[in-house]
Amino acid sequence: MAELTVAPGVREQLAAVARVRWQLFVNSLRTLRGRMELVSHIFITLGFAAGGIGGLAASCGAAYYVVSRGKAEWLAIILWPIFFFWQLFPVVATAFTENFDTSNLLRFPLSYSSFALIRIVYGSLEPATMLSSLWLLGVASGVAMASPPLFPWAAIALLLVAAVNILLARMIFSWVERWLAQRRTREILGVFFLLFIISFQLIGPLMSRYGRSAHPDLRQFADRVLPIQRLLPPGTAASAIASAADGDYAIAAGTLGILGIYGAAIFWFLDLRLRAQFHGENLSEAPALAESSGQRGIVRAGWSFPGIPGSVAAIFEKEMRYLSRSGPMLFTLIMPVFILFIFRLTPSTSHRGSGSFLGGSSDLAFPIGAAYALLILTNMVYNNFGSEGAGVQMYFTAPVLIRSAILAKNLAHSTILALEMVLVWIGASLIYKPSALGTTLATLSGILFALPVNLTVGNLLSISSPKKIDYGTFGRQRASNTTVFASFGVQIVVVGLAAVTLMAGRSFDRVWLATIVFLVFAAVAWVVYSVVLKSIEHMAFGHREELIAELTRAS
Amino acid sequence: MNSAAIATQGLTRRFGALTAVDDVNLRVAPGQFFGFLGPNGAGKSTTIKMLTGLLAPTAGRIEILGLDLAANSLEVKRQIGVVPEGMALFGRLTGAEYLNFAGRMYGLDREIAANRAAELLDFMQLADQPKKLVTDYSHGMQKKLALAAAVIHGPKILFLDEPFEGVDAIASGTLKVMLQSMIARGATIFLTSHVLEIVERLCSHLAIIHRGRLVAQGSLEELRAGVEAQAAAALPDDGVHAPAVPGEKLTLEEIFLRIVGGARPVDQELSWLS
Repeated sequence: MAELTVAPGVREQLAAVARVRWQLFVNSLRTLRGRMELVSHIFITLGFAAGGIGGLAASCGAAYYVVSRGKAEWLAIILWPIFFFWQLFPVVATAFTENFDTSNLLRFPLSYSSFALIRIVYGSLEPATMLSSLWLLGVASGVAMASPPLFPWAAIALLLVAAVNILLARMIFSWVERWLAQRRTREILGVFFLLFIISFQLIGPLMSRYGRSAHPDLRQFADRVLPIQRLLPPGTAASAIASAADGDYAIAAGTLGILGIYGAAIFWFLDLRLRAQFHGENLSEAPALAESSGQRGIVRAGWSFPGIPGSVAAIFEKEMRYLSRSGPMLFTLIMPVFILFIFRLTPSTSHRGSGSFLGGSSDLAFPIGAAYALLILTNMVYNNFGSEGAGVQMYFTAPVLIRSAILAKNLAHSTILALEMVLVWIGASLIYKPSALGTTLATLSGILFALPVNLTVGNLLSISSPKKIDYGTFGRQRASNTTVFASFGVQIVVVGLAAVTLMAGRSFDRVWLATIVFLVFAAVAWVVYSVVLKSIEHMAFGHREELIAELTRAS
Repeated sequence: MNSAAIATQGLTRRFGALTAVDDVNLRVAPGQFFGFLGPNGAGKSTTIKMLTGLLAPTAGRIEILGLDLAANSLEVKRQIGVVPEGMALFGRLTGAEYLNFAGRMYGLDREIAANRAAELLDFMQLADQPKKLVTDYSHGMQKKLALAAAVIHGPKILFLDEPFEGVDAIASGTLKVMLQSMIARGATIFLTSHVLEIVERLCSHLAIIHRGRLVAQGSLEELRAGVEAQAAAALPDDGVHAPAVPGEKLTLEEIFLRIVGGARPVDQELSWLS
């Protein structure tokens, strides 16, 4: 027998994974599609880089301003938005986020420490971490320029903030994935969400009660919130830097220690999940479902709808079943209401507002929620074969037209959007106030215009630039770069056009005019949609090989 | 090309400079259990993909049940069942939902689809865990489910790409019973497989493809006679081409190895495994 291989070190394994990812990238450039992906990726990166550099300059300037005026504790005002962005962006903008699937690394002789490090390091290679890190660098630079002796303290504090954020984001993802994977925990989360929606009714009175008594001045708002926020990581970091600025080095060191404890506690929770994954945890629902057997021999007939062909109804049913079994996708669908809730809690800088973002224009809550709902459907609409896997072959071997399959998927996605609209309207009404009839009608007609535009472009991109996605795993529902880039462009044009039309209608007190304009746009858009749908058969057959190859490939 | 269940003329498929399938002329009569064999990379899967509409030929013509596939693809697809490479399953459906879905995709009424799905689940011994998702099925269960979906509409021709790959003896037995009962009812089966013992037992007719070209076609007896005649006419140049023991029939494996050029003797050892 040959000698056993020497256990490889963590560094070699990290390097090997990096090399594999690089080779995968280089190999992907062999095809036209791969090269288009690269071009799209460059454009997306440039967009993010602009945000990153702009944010870096802004955070640098802001940090310089507060530290040079002896208010280092106010660094918390910069660190909190960074913290929220870091944690929320991957969840609210799933189109830009993709987790690296490390499950197939488990067959290699990987130590737990290598596995954990790979999960954390490669899992952090996403826009939120990159941008937030740049902004923290800006804060550090601002502190260094304002007070060079403070830099070492700021550097340690900000490094700890970065570590806490990276670990927290990984921890949230891994636990949410765990909870969403099983029906029982999903139902518990559903109940919490219901209670959360009901609690909206309390927010309005509370905000007006305390909002009125409080002065709109930012300083007083900060004074009220400071004692609470000091206990949490961004505030703790700011306190540590402020203590160091005041020469209280022992307190500064102790505060940094608290930040370290936060990091350790978060890592402990993350470690629980990583260890489970390392030991080959299967998040499938199989055991729970297998328990509930006992209906042997009975198969319920599929769904049917009047006037809808059986094959279209069958695909519609399949789409709905897929969605209902995807915790991550269901979770994404509640995000529009969550965003409205965040807006409600965000203080307004406007003096005429009632104390919260959108406070002075609460009638816009429904249009904004609706626009965001449309945005989060991107993953489904623009990559509508992505979740099929090898099943996509059935559309080409069965006696159905591809356009019937696409129509069924469009019907399913339109139904989901309609349900989203109802949810957003209820959420907006509870969090703010019920939208005026004019605004509601204008929004709905705007959606009636935006939907066919998105479906048309989405159908074309779904065929020309598909990407295999996993509905069952949190953070792995991202479409291809080309699709993300193109869909983002479409959304900017459509939502921008709709926003300008709606705002123009509102400023002239004639919102109904916006409704009419949207209905005209919608009529044109639906005609274009049906023309493209009719001609899509030829295109689908032209792309069938790439489509099947992409969706049947191993993950 | 009349009266053939499957017929191809000059079927060719190129991928850039590579010709994966080169001028293949196949002919499968109705009711035949037809085995399509070849070494890895010979062009079997490419051929079956073209026959089932998953891949467009670069050149040539395909007729299924007398209908030109390019011109009548929907009509052809109504009459065939397919278990393609990768099985075309939808992982996040249950077995029953998947069969229901497949039935309705082939135009069955929803009640009929549900009844047949129940019957098929029972026949394939998949009815025990009706709520289990397909993604959680074992490989053998997935193969059985894929076959069940391919036959739910009662096809006249069944195309199977490696139906026995990775399947245990019990599941394999169930599949064989199902296939034989289809042949008994007059259906035509076209399968590719590397499990030559099974092909030898099941198939009445065979074709062998090698480096994209059809190198043999006929009944097992015809292929055997051809190989024996060639062996008698030529002197053997290695062990593989040695004549069979007098009085014993050549097995399909021996026929296959002689037609495609035999196996290279492995006399080299890997340095780190010695």
